[in-house]
Amino acid sequence: MILLIAGATFREAVRSRTFLSLLGLFALGALLARVVGWISATDGHVVTVSLVLSLQSLIGVLVAVAMGTVLVQSEIQHKTLYTVLSRPLPRWHYVLGKYLGLAGALALGQVAMAVIGLGWAWVTGASLSPWLAVAVLLTTAEVLVMAAVSLCWTALSSPLLAAVLGLATYALGHAVATLPGLLHHLTGWKQEAVVILAGLIPNLGPFTYRDLAVHGLPIAWGDLAQRLGYAGLWIALLVVVTLSVVRRRQL
Amino acid sequence: MSEAALSFTGVSFSYRSDWLARIHALKRVDLSVPAGSSYGFLGANGAGKSTSIKLLTGLLHGHQGEIRLFGAPVGPPALRARLGFLPELPNFYDHLLVGEYLAWLAKLSGVTPARLPAALDRVYQLLDLGDLRRRRLGSFSKGMRQRFGLAQAIVHEPDLLVLDEPFSGLDPLWRARFKDVMAAERRRGATLFFSTHILADVEDLCDHYAVIDHGTVLEQGRLADLLGHAPLALTATGPAPAGAEALPDGQWRLVFPEADRAQVLSGLSATAVVRLERQKVALEDYFVARVRAHHAAGTGLKP
Repeated sequence: MILLIAGATFREAVRSRTFLSLLGLFALGALLARVVGWISATDGHVVTVSLVLSLQSLIGVLVAVAMGTVLVQSEIQHKTLYTVLSRPLPRWHYVLGKYLGLAGALALGQVAMAVIGLGWAWVTGASLSPWLAVAVLLTTAEVLVMAAVSLCWTALSSPLLAAVLGLATYALGHAVATLPGLLHHLTGWKQEAVVILAGLIPNLGPFTYRDLAVHGLPIAWGDLAQRLGYAGLWIALLVVVTLSVVRRRQL
Repeated sequence: MSEAALSFTGVSFSYRSDWLARIHALKRVDLSVPAGSSYGFLGANGAGKSTSIKLLTGLLHGHQGEIRLFGAPVGPPALRARLGFLPELPNFYDHLLVGEYLAWLAKLSGVTPARLPAALDRVYQLLDLGDLRRRRLGSFSKGMRQRFGLAQAIVHEPDLLVLDEPFSGLDPLWRARFKDVMAAERRRGATLFFSTHILADVEDLCDHYAVIDHGTVLEQGRLADLLGHAPLALTATGPAPAGAEALPDGQWRLVFPEADRAQVLSGLSATAVVRLERQKVALEDYFVARVRAHHAAGTGLKP
């Protein structure tokens, strides 16, 4: 049942205008990245690859937020889930299937963007470090966390508000990475409050490895496993929260 | 016809429309839908028809009282494998193709891969969807969506077919076709339970009915009993009784209830009776009168 839901969600997602338009936008951005590389004063190929990976992360997050925020709430509003949930299907199968289907589409999008962007950079003469594959993997993990964040917000609010909250979470998630350096400016309860608040937001800093990968700097396998595990824990937590909300939702 | 395919016993349901107001959508509803019957669920807009249907299909929950499907309390999802549901004004994913969408929903209802091709062929034929199987649902008109909606509701050959306003958005030809399909489903053995406010459809399709208004079931029973209680019209010759309407050729006409049959006929010779027939009940008039009487009882106004 979960895989059936995931399969249909995947097909619906990869055929949607949002998905295809943003992939098209990425392809255009990758072409322009090479132009920026040509006119840059430093190593043009490094600039191109760095821009391609940054664009891939940005587009991936935008797709995750745009599609994640319409996944449940929009189906409730448009009643598309009436013919699904009136079948012998527990709601948790539905939510989990929906997330897995979206995650599959987003992962496919990341692979497609990596092939297009890095392929284009390679064709135009850039040498590609194998560590770039790890950077793409960590970016994919970040995108999947953001998809879970969006899914959770959409279960709690309207699609528009969920999109705003999703992007805010993305911004805060990257700001959380800078907190350890700021904590010594605070004392007492303020410091504790900031630590607690930071714990409520997924720290997206560990998924930004692309700047090191561009220069061929390696990452320890244990460190990589830890970062992927951190992503998995957040995804599990957010999907469980979504499940508990949708399970009680009146349709 | 003895076992109930669906029953509501003292079912009440309320929800908050905002922070302050609580809407009592259903008030101690009792319903019994015999297995194999075709049951028309009549009510004006907002009467509680869709709420009842959502409760039995698991889309709403938290009701008081008991709803049973084939004798078992609703709740466990597995029970819904025997259910086919067409929502009011159904909506579907835009980017899936008709064929893959139907196959997907059939699998969700437990149709095995071995049975799937035959199940799909059956609904393609019943609803003329074969040529559309490679079309995306996003390109469908309202009527075509309704056709697809009925197809997905019957593709797994459910025992109970629940249809919420099934004729919405259909042209006359497809209304007639839908009735044929519903009749075919009934011949297959399915119980039909459908909500409508178009009473001609009930007269065409149903053998049982219930009238709901403001969350309360006003009455329910066999349609034949309702129609059987229509008044009689007697045309006769000879001395006219009080209340009779004079006709040409010395005849008169008297309309009287079934209960007065013996009394009226006892004073007449057999040769005096020209014609005795039951008047046709206009279900629409009956429904309007019944609901207005209920409103009047609640408001103290004249019906």
